[in-house]
Amino acid sequence: MTAFNTTSDTRALRRERLAALGRRAGIRLLGGLLVLWAVATLTFFALRLMPGDPVLAILGGASGNPTPETLEATRQEYGLDKPLAVQYVAYLGRLLQGDLGASYTQHMPVTRVLAEQGGATFELTIASLLLAWVLVLLLTVLTAGRGRLVGGLASLAETVSAALPHFWLGIVLLAVFAFGLRWFPPAGSDSLAALVLPAFSLAIPLAGFIAQVTRESLELTLEQPFVLTARTRGLSDLAVRFRHALRHALLPGISLSGWAIGALMSGAVVCEVIFSRRGIGRQLYQAVIAQDMPLVIGISLVVAAVYVLANIGVDLLYLWIDPRQQEQPR
Amino acid sequence: MNVTTRPLIPWIAIAALATGGCERAEPTRVQSDQPVHGGTLVYATDREPTCLDPHVAGDMPQVFLAQQYLDSLVSMDADGHIGPWLATRWDVSADGLHYTFHLRHDVRFTDGTPFNAAALKANLDHITDPKTQSSTAGGYIRQYRGTQVLDEYTAVVELATPYAAFLEVLAQGFLGMQSPTALARSREANCESPVGSGPFKVVRWERQSRVLLARNPDYDWAPPTARHQGPAYLDGITWTFMQEPSVRFASLQAGEVDVIEALPPESHEAARRNPDVELIIAQRPGNPTNGTFNIRRAPFDDVRVREAFVRSADVEGALKSVYFGEFPRAGGPLSAATPFYSPDFEHVQDYDPARAAQLLDQAGWTGRDAQGYRTKHGKRLQVTVLIGTRTPPSEQTLWEQVQATTRQVGFDLVLEQMSDTQTTARQAAWDYDIRLGYWNTNTPDVLRIIFGSAFIQPAGVGGYHQNTAGYSDAGFDALMDSALATQDPQQRRARYLRAQQQAAAQYLQLVTYPQSTRLGVYRTAHGVRLESSLAVTSLYDAWVTP
Repeated sequence: MTAFNTTSDTRALRRERLAALGRRAGIRLLGGLLVLWAVATLTFFALRLMPGDPVLAILGGASGNPTPETLEATRQEYGLDKPLAVQYVAYLGRLLQGDLGASYTQHMPVTRVLAEQGGATFELTIASLLLAWVLVLLLTVLTAGRGRLVGGLASLAETVSAALPHFWLGIVLLAVFAFGLRWFPPAGSDSLAALVLPAFSLAIPLAGFIAQVTRESLELTLEQPFVLTARTRGLSDLAVRFRHALRHALLPGISLSGWAIGALMSGAVVCEVIFSRRGIGRQLYQAVIAQDMPLVIGISLVVAAVYVLANIGVDLLYLWIDPRQQEQPR
Repeated sequence: MNVTTRPLIPWIAIAALATGGCERAEPTRVQSDQPVHGGTLVYATDREPTCLDPHVAGDMPQVFLAQQYLDSLVSMDADGHIGPWLATRWDVSADGLHYTFHLRHDVRFTDGTPFNAAALKANLDHITDPKTQSSTAGGYIRQYRGTQVLDEYTAVVELATPYAAFLEVLAQGFLGMQSPTALARSREANCESPVGSGPFKVVRWERQSRVLLARNPDYDWAPPTARHQGPAYLDGITWTFMQEPSVRFASLQAGEVDVIEALPPESHEAARRNPDVELIIAQRPGNPTNGTFNIRRAPFDDVRVREAFVRSADVEGALKSVYFGEFPRAGGPLSAATPFYSPDFEHVQDYDPARAAQLLDQAGWTGRDAQGYRTKHGKRLQVTVLIGTRTPPSEQTLWEQVQATTRQVGFDLVLEQMSDTQTTARQAAWDYDIRLGYWNTNTPDVLRIIFGSAFIQPAGVGGYHQNTAGYSDAGFDALMDSALATQDPQQRRARYLRAQQQAAAQYLQLVTYPQSTRLGVYRTAHGVRLESSLAVTSLYDAWVTP
């Protein structure tokens, strides 16, 4: 076998791999679209089948004092006088054109609400996820397989943090670091300093979850023969842990991160309220209460889309971290 | 408006916060009676409005903000007297159908548009236009027929029926005057950046964060109720939204904000002990917080059963435990801050279980079932109160206490929890025994809306009626109409006294406590006051010191 042949083989193999990867991504994307359609449909019908007149929801619920003329004008303005099926088809048609409609309660297009509020939530989610991973790495890599006491204590810390409710943690962080020590502002969403406390209140419980699975797999990995081999080559303990063992141990934690994006979004609802932050979590809560259908659907779609994309991303990240996975499709 | 506010989560960790930020501050209140020009006041409130134009919809958060940038046609003082503002004087025709307003000549909106008779017409037309989607303001002037512009600064407003409360509702910020140029824009645009002639103007609304207001340097038409004339002292206001009560109060204690609204009752004591914090509390006029009885079905179709329920509910005790004694008991159908309020009916609802038992015996509810509830013809004395999503947790606790005490005389009170849209549907179907609510407005005419037979009819196709009690009495209707047909204060007082008497004697509601505005003011803020029409914050006379 000549060198030439080997290169050509490798190329063919790589092309095939890429094709497999593309197919996989394509299938996932198609599935994602299906999920989005399902989300749009479910929220539409769930909200429309809720008892109560949507016109009254638009005009401020049971509290309003609308005149008959106002009710009629509103009904016509939002097309609520048409049959439900007609409304649904019209709605899907508009969705396909990227038109999410206008929010009843915010008196502006849903896309504008998303544009104004989405950034803050995105910022918070990403910051929390990164922060959670920093905490996970610090906690697990440094303490895994270090004897029963250290491991046990760290493991206890993880279990406790995983069980902490976001709102309680948020209040405590506020009391200590915003009002007591006055290191960080208690409210707001415009500065980096205002991001710190909310990010910690979301990251700590998440880090507890991820650290639990990462610790388990890291401890298993550290017992593998290749770790012993690495050690016999004279590598330092930390080098073995970070360079060799970690790569193997990360996988469960990474797949958990895809799920975590969804969890963080729901945690953001509470967090944004406590820290008076802008964001789509808090907006979603308000929109559900007010039965603001276009806004609820718009936010749900964005959250679902982020969730789908995050999971596709995690899939691809998997392949990058663990090339063995690429062999599987064949 | 009878909207209930709801803090998202009833935190228990409030105590941890309440002690948080006190270390740094030395309690030396600067005695500065001399207003300081310049500076920005940071105001934190619980709820964000959905539209900054108070004509649209009409919820309390809207009017609190609008009071800073809109002026009203007339003003109302602490005694309930109507005074001039943008209108210098007015004449009312003998039949009460035509109001001729003479307007100030020197008023300009902050976009340069002059305020004149055409602007007044544009505003009233805007409020009553169904497209505006006005619930509150539009509901208050249903009698509006049209406006005739006599000359540049004189306009005649025509009403369909006599409506003596017209001037009172005009004093509310919900009916504030806006630039007709701005009103000509879309509803969305006007919600975002309404233009008034007030002491401040809207600079920017950052949703779910804050509204930035800047001083109107040309302002020179303050109402007689204000403490100074000319432009406001403040350069601007940062109006922020902090939904969580404990965080809002802790921010005030730490001096992060200058004024907070909706001070939670559990923080009143801590606020009073804090030398850096001053409390401003005022009752709002209108119909106090209550549970209204559906008298169109048994058992509340019998006035004896209604009174028995009221008398068996230990509301004073419940208020003490739920609101730490910070909320006073309301007894009559009107809150004490309402014009023509009479204190005669404060005690008709006092706790009296012996009388309750006697009344139930008289009404024939003499049997007892295995659980100890009263029965009549084998049917249990059961009543249902609807608890919607927006019912605050403290309000629910209050009703749990009512449940406990009414049980002792044999009532089975069921608290049924559901979504707000479901409560609306149940309301429309008259399928309830008790509905929770309140109505903030500065006129006793509110009794016509909540007990008048015209309001038993649904307001429209939505099927929602405002006379939740279902009370229908031709004599009462005539009395309310006659009170609207006279401008004479003595006659109005006499008629509204009879109306309160009749409503109180019918036991149509279990009245609990008056609605109130509760501000916490940090030592950096001065001159903050509440106007009188709805006890809404006014920052026109306010200033800040470092």
